[in-house]
Amino acid sequence: MKPRPPTMRGKQRYVLARLDPPSLAVSGRDLYYAIAESLTSLYGDSGMACMEPSVVSCTGGYAIIRCTRSSEGRVVAGLAAVHQVQEVSVAVRSIRTSGTMRSLRRHLAGMTPRAPLGEQDAYFQGRSWTGVKYPGGKVDLFEKGFKNQQPLFLTEEDLEE
Amino acid sequence: MRCTDACVYPFPLGDSSVRRMAQEAGELGLDSIVAVGAKRCIFRGVEVVGGTVIQGTNPGEVQAALRKLGGDPGILMANAGDYAFNKALLHMSRVRVLRGIHATPRNSFDHILSRMAAERQVAVDLDLSLLVSGRDYARQKALQRYADLARLQSRTGFPLTLSSGARSILQMKSTRDMISLCRLFGLDEDGVEEAFLGIANILRPEKAVEVVE
Repeated sequence: MKPRPPTMRGKQRYVLARLDPPSLAVSGRDLYYAIAESLTSLYGDSGMACMEPSVVSCTGGYAIIRCTRSSEGRVVAGLAAVHQVQEVSVAVRSIRTSGTMRSLRRHLAGMTPRAPLGEQDAYFQGRSWTGVKYPGGKVDLFEKGFKNQQPLFLTEEDLEE
Repeated sequence: MRCTDACVYPFPLGDSSVRRMAQEAGELGLDSIVAVGAKRCIFRGVEVVGGTVIQGTNPGEVQAALRKLGGDPGILMANAGDYAFNKALLHMSRVRVLRGIHATPRNSFDHILSRMAAERQVAVDLDLSLLVSGRDYARQKALQRYADLARLQSRTGFPLTLSSGARSILQMKSTRDMISLCRLFGLDEDGVEEAFLGIANILRPEKAVEVVE
């Protein structure tokens, strides 16, 4: 079967989104289900079908979501309404919309890396925590001995006090 | 103060410190936040304004809570209720923002109260967390009320404020996200920009005559 020529295909838009917290590894499939649930609850099945959203890439704390042209505004609203992926709190923050993935990847290359700078033991509110440091003086605290708990989001200045 | 998140709850009410919330707000395109229980400061270029939410179901309780407040409570916000209660709140000069109007009866804030709010420069807050975490009927009701408020605002001109109601940096919204969420209930980009200025207008109201040196 011959592939459909580009001029006969529907136009697409690509939305670059940042996933927070950066320590969380979210798979593309889980993210798609969360976005689909959010869009369906906001716009219904017919609206969701018109948008044709799909997660094209999901690596390094960023995701690229594809949708049909003219539906990108609704997809951005749907992304803003995602607050959990697999019952874990996340934030999906749309950064930029483009007509090509190449321009989004070029934009992504110019952004500051979000990898953690290291871990340190911290003492906060009379308890021991494991602190994960990020660029910009950000520190996420995970309480020692507790699994799957929500971290505290602080800055280095908060720990110094 | 051009883009303000009108209500966030930092640690200990939430899981993020006020500094981290201010830093996150800066990255999300905001230049100021109203933080409940925090003191006024500027952190990494983002202005933090303190705020207090007064819980009360009748004017007497609110007056008693206002009397108990000490020091600098910042911007005073009160949870809205029925028509008579909202009218009483609008007459209290210290209350600057009405919150939680989505949870009140439909006739609790009509054109008369909206004109009164415009005269007294009392803002009505639109809490976007309901559109994110709410589902089904709760979200539909919030969208209906917000659409109604946006229509009233365009006619009478009372100040609107936009808040994420965030208790975590993960619940904070960027200006882009707020604009797209506000489109859900018919508030256009100009309306959103005006609502971002709501807190600035309350803090520094325009005067009829101002001497500029």
